[in-house]
Amino acid sequence: MRKSLILSLTVFLLVGLSASGAAAQEKPRYGGILNWYDYADPGRLDIHAESPLSVQQALAGIYSGLLHYDPDDPTKIIGDLAESRTVSPDSKTYTFHLRKGVKWHDGQPFSAADVKATFDRVLNPNFQSPRCGSMLKPMVASVEVVDAHTVQFQLKFPAAPFISAVASAWCRVAAKHILEKYGDLTKPEAQIGTGPFKFKRYERGSVIEWEKNKDYFIPGLPYLDGVKQFILTGVPTQLAAAKAGRIMLWDTWPPMKKTQADELRNARGDEVRIYQASINTIFLIYMHTQKPPFNNPDMRRAVNLAIDRQELVAKTLEGAGLPCAMLDPRLVGDFALPLLEVNKLPGCRQPKDLDIAEAKRLVEKHYPNGVDIEAAVRSVGGYIDRAQLVLAQLRKIGIRGTLKTYESAAGFSVYGKGDFTFISTQDRAMVTADPGDVFALVYATGAGSNWGKWSDPKVDELTERGLKEPNVEKRKQIYHELQRYLLTQDTTAVVAGWVEGWFFQDKRVRNYQASPTIYDHSTFMKVWLAQ
Amino acid sequence: MANRVELAVGMAREAGIAPARVGGAQGVLHALGWFAGRQPLGAIGGLIVLALIATAIFAPQLAPHGAKDAAFTQYLPPSAEFPMGTDQLGRDVLSRVVWGARLSLYVGVVSVAFGITLGALWGIVTAYFGGVADGASQRVVDVVMALPPVVLALSLMAALGQSVNNVIFALAILLTPTAARTLRSVALSIKETPYVEAARAAGCSHWRIIFRHVLPNTLATYIVLFTVNIAYAIVVEAALSFLGLGAPPDEPSWGGMLTAGTQAMETAPWMIFFPGLAISLTVFGLNLLGDAIRDLTDPRLRGGLG
Repeated sequence: MRKSLILSLTVFLLVGLSASGAAAQEKPRYGGILNWYDYADPGRLDIHAESPLSVQQALAGIYSGLLHYDPDDPTKIIGDLAESRTVSPDSKTYTFHLRKGVKWHDGQPFSAADVKATFDRVLNPNFQSPRCGSMLKPMVASVEVVDAHTVQFQLKFPAAPFISAVASAWCRVAAKHILEKYGDLTKPEAQIGTGPFKFKRYERGSVIEWEKNKDYFIPGLPYLDGVKQFILTGVPTQLAAAKAGRIMLWDTWPPMKKTQADELRNARGDEVRIYQASINTIFLIYMHTQKPPFNNPDMRRAVNLAIDRQELVAKTLEGAGLPCAMLDPRLVGDFALPLLEVNKLPGCRQPKDLDIAEAKRLVEKHYPNGVDIEAAVRSVGGYIDRAQLVLAQLRKIGIRGTLKTYESAAGFSVYGKGDFTFISTQDRAMVTADPGDVFALVYATGAGSNWGKWSDPKVDELTERGLKEPNVEKRKQIYHELQRYLLTQDTTAVVAGWVEGWFFQDKRVRNYQASPTIYDHSTFMKVWLAQ
Repeated sequence: MANRVELAVGMAREAGIAPARVGGAQGVLHALGWFAGRQPLGAIGGLIVLALIATAIFAPQLAPHGAKDAAFTQYLPPSAEFPMGTDQLGRDVLSRVVWGARLSLYVGVVSVAFGITLGALWGIVTAYFGGVADGASQRVVDVVMALPPVVLALSLMAALGQSVNNVIFALAILLTPTAARTLRSVALSIKETPYVEAARAAGCSHWRIIFRHVLPNTLATYIVLFTVNIAYAIVVEAALSFLGLGAPPDEPSWGGMLTAGTQAMETAPWMIFFPGLAISLTVFGLNLLGDAIRDLTDPRLRGGLG
């Protein structure tokens, strides 16, 4: 598994995201502010309790993790606060040896007690941790302090994705004394990390600023004096900022469409490098399985059959995506069900006539005059366009939707509470590049993004088996079975496809390497700006 | 529309400068001809507004395709098949502009009808009774008018949520104080006129005086306010939709179409050109007509009745 994963990641990086070799040879230059953007106002800043990318971006350079993706070669996971790690022969005990002399941004010393406080918090059954907690809770039994600089994780079983989960940017380490002082990490003043940048300023709806941490534990880093993130909601605003040269990097969600990339190329010419890439993100359409009309499995099945994934990808992503793909073969290799097979499944196959006729029959069986629904959508990125197309497709089978838009954080709050009938579009980025991620995050009972409250014993059983299975081939079979089952069942979340898009980097930005997940590539610890 | 023109002509006729009354359809044509001769720009405005109303009423017949049907190729430039091109989802822009006329006119007329009528009643009644209630109500008007209108509308929409009815409500709230202030000043002068004095001396009740003597004489001002503010309401609705807080995004609103067009201004400029043109033409027509009616009914303006 590891081999194919690394191969896939290498291809992924070579295709779209590798920095030029020439840039790596240059002598880094100190100073300068990197201008970047956040697609939405993050609101609450608790990295362990929240799930939006906007929160992760707001804090990416502030905290350090035990492990992280190597800034020089993001296909590798290396130590961050942990200098080294050992694993027991039964693969159930991981021991992390921590760096010495690390200080929090407020000057307090870092120790193993902070690591324990962080993971005890995340693993607390009563604490909602939709990213880190969702990944680790099924695997980790306990976290113990061995001494001031050694910490030990006891696993419930030998879990293949443990290391990549611990390396996730959502599992970064917070200070025990800060958690005790504030109770949570929601407020700007609680953003005390050990990362390369300090949290300087957060002006709601406007800007987030980091400043260089002069006491960073890696001598000589970071190169930048700071990072400024403008909060720019909506692709037209983001595109206008990019065309005007106000931002230097567009490396993250929402991706540009080809039309927009072309406009940027016309505006900036040789000043920017524009590339196409995948962002480890799946495009989903949610139904609440406990509320009418979608508490009826026939209605969920009708939606699954009616959604034209090929049209959605062709029009709303301008072809940059893999329709119907539950796993991206470019990221996880042959863990993904072959697209040839996927595209023959009901709901995914073309032409759509048979599936639409069947979907219409299912709707008419329960609602002879059709049914009206409220369709929620967060007004960020290209969601409004996607939502309109989804509703246009559903009108063909007698489901008449009215859009209800939400500001980014408000939308997540509504989804988290289950206060919706239908979510017309929502991307979910994977926490790691492990193939089991999507099932653990979206489909398992009680999963962090299982907003439609779906529960299916077979899915839970297969998800757990996949997590525990050490044999790569057997694991592959389990995930193939899961994909076949989910793509044809009356699930809570219909897969529209895997999202790709266009991005850009100002050519003055050097030594920037994108990681396999969009959550992990923005610490900027080794990034520098050319003159 | 013809009724409003007739009304204006009727007022002119009472003043002795309008053409003699001629019965039936011929009379309407005669009056329109007189109006066009007197106010040629107003007549052009009237024609534009008539075209808008016809487009709104006959949208299902005029639109070649469904406004929400994303059935075609994206970003097709204007052609014989799609005279205004297609948008980012492959919808026919012409059909959306046609259906957008219905939405714009509906929002414009209904919000102005509510807002101006409410404001008129408020202004006339408080002007008539005067005293503390009048003073206090005018301070309320001051407060509302001190708030920037678009900011107020945005705040209301953010609080109420996106829907066409909420847009109407927000616009009505914006328009009420203006109407109250304007109609109050008209009513203040009317209440001092001899015929109101006479009605009072004859023992008419306050409400009878208000509704039989004061209110009908504010009608000219009311009509001008009504016409001019429809244009204002349409522009504010478009602005709210442009900012993502107007009609729901899938409704074919001209402002919403402009927002969608900004995503691909260079690739598909027709996406912003045609809805922009529709807004400009509509506002132009309504303003020309409103100005003409004002000129006809205001004795102080040249070309009017004075």
